[in-house]
Amino acid sequence: MEHDPAVIAGVSLAIETVIAKAVELSPGTQSRLQRLHPLDIEIHCTQPSVKIFVKVEEDGDIQIANYQETAATITIEGTWRDFSRVASASDPATALINGDIKISGDTAPLLQLQVIVGDLDIDWEAPIVSAIGPVLGHQLAQVIRGITRASGMTNRRIKRQLSEFILEEGRLSPPKAELDSLFTAIDDLALRTDRIESRLKRIRKRASSLTGVIE
Amino acid sequence: MSSQDNRTDDTTDFGFERVKTAEKAGRVREVFDSVAAQYDLMNDLMSGGLHRLWKRFTIELSAVRSGQTVLDIAGGTGDLAAKFSKLVGTEGKVILADINAAMLSVGRDRLIDKGALSNIDVVQADAQFLPFEDNSIDCITIAFGLRNVTDKARALRSMHRVLKPGGRVLVLEFSKPTSPLLSKVYDAYSFSALPVMGKLITDDADSYRYLAESIRKHPDQESLLEMVEDAGFVDCRFHNMTGGIVAVHRGIKG
Repeated sequence: MEHDPAVIAGVSLAIETVIAKAVELSPGTQSRLQRLHPLDIEIHCTQPSVKIFVKVEEDGDIQIANYQETAATITIEGTWRDFSRVASASDPATALINGDIKISGDTAPLLQLQVIVGDLDIDWEAPIVSAIGPVLGHQLAQVIRGITRASGMTNRRIKRQLSEFILEEGRLSPPKAELDSLFTAIDDLALRTDRIESRLKRIRKRASSLTGVIE
Repeated sequence: MSSQDNRTDDTTDFGFERVKTAEKAGRVREVFDSVAAQYDLMNDLMSGGLHRLWKRFTIELSAVRSGQTVLDIAGGTGDLAAKFSKLVGTEGKVILADINAAMLSVGRDRLIDKGALSNIDVVQADAQFLPFEDNSIDCITIAFGLRNVTDKARALRSMHRVLKPGGRVLVLEFSKPTSPLLSKVYDAYSFSALPVMGKLITDDADSYRYLAESIRKHPDQESLLEMVEDAGFVDCRFHNMTGGIVAVHRGIKG
């Protein structure tokens, strides 16, 4: 099925705008991106079939297009599920290498791009200050920062308490040590079974040679 | 007579009206003189901002590279020219052409404000009689302009003449919706909402009624493709956008 180019153009424009804003608010990122020029990546989603091209321009701007006639320097190919798995992984780089996504071309600039993305340090206070002034803007930023920090702590606490409840109080899942001990016992049993089996084979062999009966 | 652009030897369409061929350019000029100042604002309102996406895809199809010469016909307020200016760089050149002086004036002011005039020439020209040397242009675009040209076939031949061999023409124009339901909704919108919006924003309902009528009289996708091929272009194709409300036709000079 052919997708409406206007829809893809709209999505590309939205992504491009978000990236441009993030780069603008992260000091030093634009000049680091300039060094990646002329990086040209073709991202080919095979299911659903969509192709987009990500290009780093001479001035460090990132352009996203859905049509290009020249060959890209790097091609990344996979299904939507493969891409979403990488995007949601705690370590996207490892997930990309170990997953089903195919990458062809010179991957060194891609790794550099990943480092730049990882180093993004967005000064989100700047647009608030420019919109409502330095005094009020800074106060509002402090409040947002406080809320973010508190919600982060609450999130971590909930996660820890939930795992404690599952292990200790609910006994819904066995503790790690208990599991390790069980796995060791299973391995030990498997080894002993193997040994008994080979011993039985030896005894059968000896018995058959004594009686002259071939099994 | 040219059946595809509904022109006879002495009369042609002006929206749903028949006018003398010699009068059409003047009548079109009146329409654009009236809407020039608010043209971009009206485009945004009428299309819900979609015209920017249609133009964005057209620019991608152009595959314009640094150092090339691009001619943007009926370029009006210069939004495509500004984008091409960045793509061709300091080594290249963009020619912003329009038959209407009022539209060019708005476009030139806007480009000066954007600081993008260093590699852009502004030329008042009729698409039917392009005042450029043969085989001198790498890419020609005409966005929402061809339907206002008196003799579309002659304009396409003129574009073919000035293009370099291997150069491409891109015609972005309103077309025929592919779904009957969308077609009905679109008709109701064009003939009811559009003139009202025109009246409110530019105090000129008639000009916007003409725009809606001229869209209906414009050749559909297949007819325009045939016209592009008849003008001498090869490897011609079109891409529908937004359900066929708009189509971009591409042809290469062999």
